[in-house]
Amino acid sequence: MVYVGGSLLYLALGLTVYALITQCLVKRDEGNSRGRSARKATTLSVVAVIFATLSLVWAFVTNDFRFAYVASNSQRSLPIIFKISALWAGQSGSLLLWLLIISLLTLVVQANGNYRKSGISSGITIVINLVRVLFLILLLFATSPFELLVDPPWDGTGLNPMLQSLGMVVHPPLLFLGFSGFLIPFALVVVELWRGSSSGTWVQRSRPWVLFSWLFLTAGIVTGGQWAYTELGWGGYWAWDPVENASLFPWLTSTALVHTLLLPKKTRTQVWSFFLIVITFALTIFGTFLTRSGILDSVHAFSGGILGSIFLGVLGVILLFSLFLWWSRRSLFEQGSGDEAASSITVLSKSVSIQGGNILLLLICLTVFLGTMFPLYSSIFLGREVVLDADFFNQLTVPLFLLLLLLMGMAPVLDWYSTDNERFCRRVWLPALVSLGVAVLTYRVQGSGVLASIAFAIATFGAITHFQDLLGHCYKRKLGAYLVHLGIIVMLVGITGSSIFVDDLFLQVQPGDKVQAGGYVLEYSGLKTRYGSDRYTVGTTLIIRKSNGVAGEITAEKTFWENRRQPSTRVGIFSTFKEDLYLNLVGWESQVAQLHVQRFSLVRWIWFGSLLVYLGVLVILVPSKILRLKSGR
Amino acid sequence: MSSKKLKIVLISLLPLLVLGFLAFRAFENSAAYYYTISEVAAKEMGEQKVRIKGQLVDDSVDYDASIPLLKFSLTDGTADVAVFYPGVLPDNLQHADEVIIEGKFNSNRDFIVSKLMLQCPSKYEGEE
Repeated sequence: MVYVGGSLLYLALGLTVYALITQCLVKRDEGNSRGRSARKATTLSVVAVIFATLSLVWAFVTNDFRFAYVASNSQRSLPIIFKISALWAGQSGSLLLWLLIISLLTLVVQANGNYRKSGISSGITIVINLVRVLFLILLLFATSPFELLVDPPWDGTGLNPMLQSLGMVVHPPLLFLGFSGFLIPFALVVVELWRGSSSGTWVQRSRPWVLFSWLFLTAGIVTGGQWAYTELGWGGYWAWDPVENASLFPWLTSTALVHTLLLPKKTRTQVWSFFLIVITFALTIFGTFLTRSGILDSVHAFSGGILGSIFLGVLGVILLFSLFLWWSRRSLFEQGSGDEAASSITVLSKSVSIQGGNILLLLICLTVFLGTMFPLYSSIFLGREVVLDADFFNQLTVPLFLLLLLLMGMAPVLDWYSTDNERFCRRVWLPALVSLGVAVLTYRVQGSGVLASIAFAIATFGAITHFQDLLGHCYKRKLGAYLVHLGIIVMLVGITGSSIFVDDLFLQVQPGDKVQAGGYVLEYSGLKTRYGSDRYTVGTTLIIRKSNGVAGEITAEKTFWENRRQPSTRVGIFSTFKEDLYLNLVGWESQVAQLHVQRFSLVRWIWFGSLLVYLGVLVILVPSKILRLKSGR
Repeated sequence: MSSKKLKIVLISLLPLLVLGFLAFRAFENSAAYYYTISEVAAKEMGEQKVRIKGQLVDDSVDYDASIPLLKFSLTDGTADVAVFYPGVLPDNLQHADEVIIEGKFNSNRDFIVSKLMLQCPSKYEGEE
């Protein structure tokens, strides 16, 4: 039984290589027996990967500590859900999960009759299979999850308590799905250009894939933020840590890509789309390199090793190949707008504002990129390695983000090619006036700084313009896009609120003490200790009172493990739309406890906004057969 | 280059200049320079923000949860430096393979840590 997983991976490798070779020989004609056998081989290799993964899951569930990977990431007493998610707790397991996701996408591509009819199915499969071969080789020869222990222990060493969290269950798969999805648009454009087809159908074809991947990448980043928010020492939901930034790079470029693909044909340039598809895909690989190489100091990084350099090598190959492809096929790119078409477009138009937004997105990406990589090249001209902290990123990107969101808020008041001034003023006076009022109000009431009141004003402006337009005339794609925009606006409010309205208190309390925090009164009644088989937990539950009675309770705990030198802390969070109370049990002597109470405003808006974003993308992606709404522009 | 193109170039240079200026200003108060522990221990550093990497000196941890204030020493094998962190003791300090701190000397020549990062190369690979 123990050799099943490894053997299945060998089988998958053999089948994929066979499929690759046959498909390269087949070229265009896919109907013949060779083409069919290559497809069968690919399908079988996917099945082998699925069963290899299942065999590892099975090993985790049945506590099979003969596997080194299981022994070092699990233990008997671990709840079953964390036993399953421990699959991606380590390096090799997360590569396996990634391979599984790419393999499942391969099945989706192969099943697409449309691709087959236009003769690109085998081409795309070749590109994906190349990536799968790379992963299989890494999993078999560099970092295998199926390595066996000579002397298996009775119990595993367990999963790091920080990883025993719902965040660990959902965040990595969502992020990997987002990352992997961008492989398909890349494959689409490579195949069509390679074939010398100038039809440009890859633009339409990559649209749903880009949206799909963007959805999961966004969800991956947001769930990562939610997880980091609940985990002490990770610096809140966003800390501009290199590993966090690595997931932001492809998000920024893919956001630009989504908008480029939406531009009407008249103003769209294919070179621009091509460039964004390549750069987004390259950045997903680069993110993997940053995470695995350990060249930058991060609280989330995996250990360094050979994997980093392999991914860097792959990145180089991809970039060189794309450059070559662009150069050798440059005549195939449609020239976009001719001069006479361009002359009918004015600055006051959706096309121009989208392009402006794209430039802003790329500028933000470049800024964050240069800032993140700064330690690596700063020694050249500063004589010393220099790290830039969160302040740097905030100071630089916040104005750019605000400008970007202002442009986003303008989207509904602008027409595609040109907006005449009178119409523009008619649409914009109300939101402009209200948001000006909001700016003054928030500035005076809260005294919270210019940037914050500008942010609130921009959010108000965008919310009103979008609602105004939705009330007028609504169809499916517009509804989806506007939901995404509104979600982003809600998130903007949450991010602004939580960064400026913060309370921070350290308290020493005795049983019976009542303390003021924000508008609440917290009642401390003492510590309680619970005992488990291999641990004991000290915790306290505070009653939260408002003027009109009990509002809820909040629990913070510290757990001490028998076989671990470090305790693990669980913070308590009491969350409302207005604010979050964040409680940490810092220390205690008998029943006297030291508490750290923080209050962050509007955090829930961020999570709520993200739900609107997901809903919006789903509205766009769901086929119109299922969702009956007027469609079409 | 036509005059229209020149105009576009000039207009697009402006935001870049603004951005460059902002970057320069942001850099001044957020840059932390990497120093070795020996350097920090030997040299009298200025008000500059520095970043140090090292191992925790065993038994150097002294924590008062009521303030809270954490004292500990880092070593690189040749020199030690004692530092103060006005914050909560992190769970995995004693277990960390490498401690990274960011901070400055105050007027009493005490090193005050503003950011404490713990690195465990085995972090996501379970415990030994």
